[in-house]
Amino acid sequence: MTPNEQPAKEQDDKEKNAWVEMANYFQLAVVFPAATVVGWLIGLALDHWLHTTWLYILGLILGIVAGFVELIRTVTKNSS
Amino acid sequence: MPEQLFFTRFLNAALAGPVTALLRALHIEPQYPQAPISNAVAMEVLVFGFLVLIFILLRMRLSVERPGALQHIFESIQGFIEGQSRDVIGHHSERFTGFLLPLGLFILVANLFGIVPGLESPTAFPVVPLGCAICAFAYYQVQGLKLGGVGYLKHFLGPVWWLSPLMLPLEIISHLARLLSLTIRLYANMFAGDMVTLVFFSLIPLGIPVIFLGLHIGVALLQAYIFVLLTTVYLAGAVATEH
Repeated sequence: MTPNEQPAKEQDDKEKNAWVEMANYFQLAVVFPAATVVGWLIGLALDHWLHTTWLYILGLILGIVAGFVELIRTVTKNSS
Repeated sequence: MPEQLFFTRFLNAALAGPVTALLRALHIEPQYPQAPISNAVAMEVLVFGFLVLIFILLRMRLSVERPGALQHIFESIQGFIEGQSRDVIGHHSERFTGFLLPLGLFILVANLFGIVPGLESPTAFPVVPLGCAICAFAYYQVQGLKLGGVGYLKHFLGPVWWLSPLMLPLEIISHLARLLSLTIRLYANMFAGDMVTLVFFSLIPLGIPVIFLGLHIGVALLQAYIFVLLTTVYLAGAVATEH
């Protein structure tokens, strides 16, 4: 690779990474509410299956925590 | 009876009997036995037929010495998907192109169907993006298991062993949230794009809707790209344990 080609390749790599980061941030906007809804739905399903009345709250809390974990994981991965 | 597009009416006229019988055999009672095929399914069938036709044409005209315009277009798309998965996944990513390329093409054509008069975007119905998301979800889980084996399952338990009873439900919720987020993003964008185009066509039939049609094409391309890119990112995460 010639010295002129090196910066061009680096620029190209940066642009490609920017697209991947953009997709990750796009997903971040939806994944937090999605995780909350999924946790709540799993809790509701378990309540229905086990004839309990409180698992939906646990599911909701786990969903919120899962959303935060995913959020922090994506942000720290992209900023490192 | 729901409002049916021309192609849906045609399919229902030809196949309503056998489809209703098949659904009843599966213990599913269709809401409209005379028209069991919905616009979403009919548009999906049309997208599938269109792609198969394009692929047959492409195969017939395939030439090493004198590649035609269609071959150039598809080679570029294939090269783009392959290059992108190489950047995200790394070596040996070409084995996934056989899934990512048809998925991307299906979503792209389905998104663009909304701008053709008399047709609708199948992706503007929630069941179609959900189907695509389930395919992507199942594919990356199966590839993760196939290539990573038990190591892939360990990835669900987190890095600290005593936290694994908490991490397991969190990871399961995170993975299922990806399924929901893929579905909602594609569905909401395509539905909104269709609505905006329709509203402006009904308000001002000349000139202005062209801007929104352009916007709709842009959104269709971007959403197909993001769906494939996110599937590639999930796939990279699933097969990373292999390396």
